[in-house]
Amino acid sequence: MRARMIILSVVLLALLVSTLFPLYWMVATSLRGEGAVIKKAVELWPKQPSLGNYVDVFRSGPFSRYFLNSVVVSAFVVLGNILFASMVGYGIARREFRGKRLLTVGVVSMLMVPRQITMIPLYLLISKLRMIDSYFALTLPFLVDAFNVFLISQYVTSLPAELEDAARVDGAGDMGIFFRIVLPLCKPALAVVGINTFLVSWNSFLYPLILTNTERMRTLPVGLALYSQGEHSVDWGHLTAGSTVCALPIIVVFILFQRHIIEGITAGSGK
Amino acid sequence: MRLNTRALGAWLIACGCAVALALSGVSCQRETGTKIVFWQFWPTEVISPLIAEFEKANPGVKVEMQQLTWQNGFEKIVAAVSSGTQPDLCELGSTWVPKFAADGVLSNLTADVTDLRDQYLFWDSCTLNGSVFGIPWVAGTRALFYNKELFAKAGLDPNRPPQTWAQLLSFAKKINSPAAGVYGFGLNTGERYILFKKFMPLAWGNGGTILSPDMRRSTLYSKQNIEALDFYRSLKPYSLVEKQDVLDMTFKQGKVGMVISGGWNLKTIPADAPGLKYGVALIPKPAEGRGSHASFAGSEILVAFANSKHRAGALKLARFLVGRENVIALCRATKSVQPALKGAETDPYYEAHPEERMFVVQLKTAVAPPAHPKWVEVEDEINAAVEEVLYGRKTSAQALLEANKKIEDIISRP
Amino acid sequence: MRSAVVTNRSRANPRPARSGRSTLIFLSPWLVSFGVFWLFPLVFSLVLSFMQFNPLRPDLARFVGLDNFARAVRDPLFWTSLKNTLVFVCGTVPVTTLIAFFLAVAINRKLPFRSLYRAGFFVPSIVSVVVISIVFKQLYSPAGLVNKLVEVFGGNPRSWLGDPGTALVSIMAMDVWSSFGYYTILFLAGLQAIPAELYEAAVLDGGGFWGTLRFVTLPMLRPITLFVIVINTIRSFQVFIEIFVMTRGGPLNSTLTSVFYLYDRAFYRFEMGYASAVGYLLFAVIMCFLFLQMKYLRVGRGAGE
Repeated sequence: MRARMIILSVVLLALLVSTLFPLYWMVATSLRGEGAVIKKAVELWPKQPSLGNYVDVFRSGPFSRYFLNSVVVSAFVVLGNILFASMVGYGIARREFRGKRLLTVGVVSMLMVPRQITMIPLYLLISKLRMIDSYFALTLPFLVDAFNVFLISQYVTSLPAELEDAARVDGAGDMGIFFRIVLPLCKPALAVVGINTFLVSWNSFLYPLILTNTERMRTLPVGLALYSQGEHSVDWGHLTAGSTVCALPIIVVFILFQRHIIEGITAGSGK
Repeated sequence: MRLNTRALGAWLIACGCAVALALSGVSCQRETGTKIVFWQFWPTEVISPLIAEFEKANPGVKVEMQQLTWQNGFEKIVAAVSSGTQPDLCELGSTWVPKFAADGVLSNLTADVTDLRDQYLFWDSCTLNGSVFGIPWVAGTRALFYNKELFAKAGLDPNRPPQTWAQLLSFAKKINSPAAGVYGFGLNTGERYILFKKFMPLAWGNGGTILSPDMRRSTLYSKQNIEALDFYRSLKPYSLVEKQDVLDMTFKQGKVGMVISGGWNLKTIPADAPGLKYGVALIPKPAEGRGSHASFAGSEILVAFANSKHRAGALKLARFLVGRENVIALCRATKSVQPALKGAETDPYYEAHPEERMFVVQLKTAVAPPAHPKWVEVEDEINAAVEEVLYGRKTSAQALLEANKKIEDIISRP
Repeated sequence: MRSAVVTNRSRANPRPARSGRSTLIFLSPWLVSFGVFWLFPLVFSLVLSFMQFNPLRPDLARFVGLDNFARAVRDPLFWTSLKNTLVFVCGTVPVTTLIAFFLAVAINRKLPFRSLYRAGFFVPSIVSVVVISIVFKQLYSPAGLVNKLVEVFGGNPRSWLGDPGTALVSIMAMDVWSSFGYYTILFLAGLQAIPAELYEAAVLDGGGFWGTLRFVTLPMLRPITLFVIVINTIRSFQVFIEIFVMTRGGPLNSTLTSVFYLYDRAFYRFEMGYASAVGYLLFAVIMCFLFLQMKYLRVGRGAGE
C-alpha cells in the first residue's frame, strides 16, 4: 500500500512538473538577454538572469498603455459587476414579480448561447454609437454578467430574511436595506464574484480585439497577440516578458484567493 | 414612497462615472491649434523624431500618431472608415489603396502632387482611373538571404550566391542535412500578405502575370506560372516549410541555408545573431539568359481621407515625410524599406552599405501586384493555390486553373 | 382558504411583493444590459443572417432571404471549418475529461502535497489563452523544446504548426494541457461530496479499486461528469484564440475552425450578413450536439443507482 502511494506520488509529481514547465520556460526566457532565443534555443535557466526585457517592454512602445488599459477596464468591470450583479441578484432572490420565470430563463440562456452570435451586432451597435476604441466599449456590455447574477441570487436566497424585515419595520427604504444590510452580508459571495470577474475580464480577448482599433485602447492580451505575429521579427525575450506580466496578476490573485476561485467554479456546477 | 436621497446619490455618482468614462474614451477636439491624426505602421521610436521635427517647423500644429500592426491594420482602417473615426493622414499598403479609392473614401490628390510626379516611383499603385489618391513614401522588396558558413560547409563558394533556379535547387540540396537539423531553403507556407510575396517573384521572373493589363481577365493560368509553381514545389524536400517569422528565426539560428526575406533582417540579424555570416543577393532568375531577377514591390502610400477636416495639414505632413532627407532617415532607421524616391541608390549612405543597397537594386526589377480593388480576395486565392500544390493536394496546373476561375469570378463581381 | 394563502406565502422564500417600482430599479441594470447588449444583438444577428451587409457600404445592404444559408451549405470552407471544429471537440473533450477524472481520483486520496497538486494543475487553466498560445508557438517551432524532446526519444523533428497533418493535433494537445486542471477541480469537488459511508460499504462488499470506481464513484459523479462534458463541449466549439495567435487557420485550412471562419468573414471580408448566418448555423450544430450528448449520457442513469 505504501509502495503504491509512493509510486502515485512520483507520477503525480512528474505530471505536475511537466504541466508547469511551459510556464516556467516562459519566465526563464523572459529573464534572458535580448535575442537570446536565437543564440541558444533552449536554456533551462539563464546564466545571467536580468530584468532587462521587462524594463525594455515597459519603456518602449505601447506596452505600458496596454497594461493600463487592462487595469482600468478590469477595475470598472469588477466594480460594476459587484454593484449591479448584486442588485439584480437581490431583486431576483427577494422579489416576486410577474415574469420572474422568464427572467430566470433569460439569465440561464445568456450562459448557454455562445458569444459569436452576438459579436457582430454588438460591434455594429458600438460602431454606430461612435464608441469603438473607447473604454466605454470595453466595459459597458460587460458590467452585468449573468453568472454573477445567478451566484448572488443563490446566495441571497440562502440568507435569512429576518434582518431585512426588521429593518423594514423600522422604516428603512429599499435602497437603504440593500446597501446597509444585504450587501455587507453578501461579502463572501461578492468576493467570489469580484475575483472571478477579474479573471475573466483580464484575460478577455475576442471582444477587446474587435472593439478596439488602435494601440491606445488595446488591452494586454490583444496587444500581446498582435505583437507576436507579423512578418517582422519578434523578440522572444520581450514577448515572454510581456506574457509573464499578463499572467502574473492572475497567478497572484489565484494564490491569494484560491478558495474563492474554486468556490466560484463549483457553485455553477451545483445546478 | 420616500425619495431615498442615498439611492439618488448613488445613481448620480454612477452616471457621473459613466460620463467620465465616455469622455475619456471619445477623443475630444480641444483645439488650441490644428491637430492632425496620423495612423501608420512604424514603431514609435522610428517615427517620433520625424514628427517632432515637423511640429517644430510648424508651430501650432500637433500630430497625434497612432501605430497600427500589419496583421490587422487593414481591418482596423476599414472599421474606422465605416464608423467615421478615420484619421486625417494614413499610411496604407499599396495593395489596399485601389480598394479604398474605389470606395470613394480617399481624397483626390491629382492636382496637389503634380510637382512630385518626377521624383518618385510607384505612382501606379496610387492611381485609379487616372486620378492620384496617395503619395508614395517607402517601398519594400524581398531578396535572397544566404548563410555563408553553411555554403562553405557544403562546399559552395560563399561569395557566389545562386543566380538561377537550377543553382538555387542544387545549392539547397547540398546544404540540406536533416540529421544536423539544417535546411537548405526556407519555404514560405500560407500566410496572408506574405506567401504571395515569396512565390510570385519566381512567377514574375519567369514572365508570368496575375491579371491582364486592363485587369479584366485573370492570367494566372499560364505556362510560366505553372513552371514557377512546379519549381517552388520542387524545393520542398530540401526546405523548412514554415511561416515567415519562424523562417527568419531559424535562419538567424544558423539552421537555414537560404531564405527569401525582407529588409528588417538587416537590423535584426546584427542585433540577435551578431556572429552570423550572411549575404544578400537578388532573387534567382529562371535560367541564364532567360527571365529576370524579379521580386515583390510593395510600396507604402500616404493617403488623406476624404472626410478629413485637416486636408491641407495632412498634405503638408505627407510632403514633409516623403522629403528626401526624412525618408532616407526613416529607411536608415528601419532598414526594412527603401525610399520610393528615384535614384536613391546613389545616395552616399547606400553606397556605403552593400546589403541595403542590394535591396534598392532589387527594387528596380521588382513588380507590384495589380492595383485592383479586390486584390485582397485575389491574394487569398493565390495563397490557397500555392498551398494546395505545396502539400501535394493538387498539381500546379489544376490549382492554377481553379484559382484562375475563382479570380475571374471575383473581379467580375461589382 | 385563508390558511391556504398563508401556507403558500410562507413556503416561498420571498416576502410579499414590494412596490413594483423599487423592484424595477433593482432589476434595471440587468434589464438594460440584457436588452441592449444581448437580446438586441441576438435578434439583429438573426436579421443580419438574411441580409447582405457590408458596414463600409451600408447603402448596398439588402435582403437576400435564405441565400446566405444556401451559400454556407455550398461553401467548402464552411464545411472544412465545421469538420475541423468537430475534430477538435471530439478529440479534446473525452481526453480532457478522462485525464481530469483520474487525476481527481488520484489526488483525492490522502496524499501529501494534495493542495499543491490541486493548485499546480489548475494554474494553466486560468492563465490567458493568449499567453499559452504564445508560449506553445515557440515550443512547437523547429528548434523549440518539443522537437528537442522528440529528438531525445529518437524521433524526427518536424514543423508541428507548419504541416497540415500535425497542426490541428498540436493545438488540440495544447488545449488538453491547458484545461484539464479546471475540470480536475470540478471532479474533486464532486468527489469530496461523496459520503465516506458509501466507500466503506463498498470495501466491505469486497470491491477493489475498480469496483469502488464503478459502483460508487462513477454513479455519484454522473451529474458533475455531465456538467464537465457540457461546458467543455461548449467551450471547445468556440475555439478561436489559439487559432488566431498560432496559425490563423492554416496551413491549408487545416486549423480553420468555425469561429475563426466567422471572424474572418465578418471582420476581414466584412461580409457580415453571411458571417451571421454561419454563426447561427454553428449555434444550431452546438445545440444538436449538446442535445445528443445529454440524451446519450443520461441513458443508464437508472442502472447506476
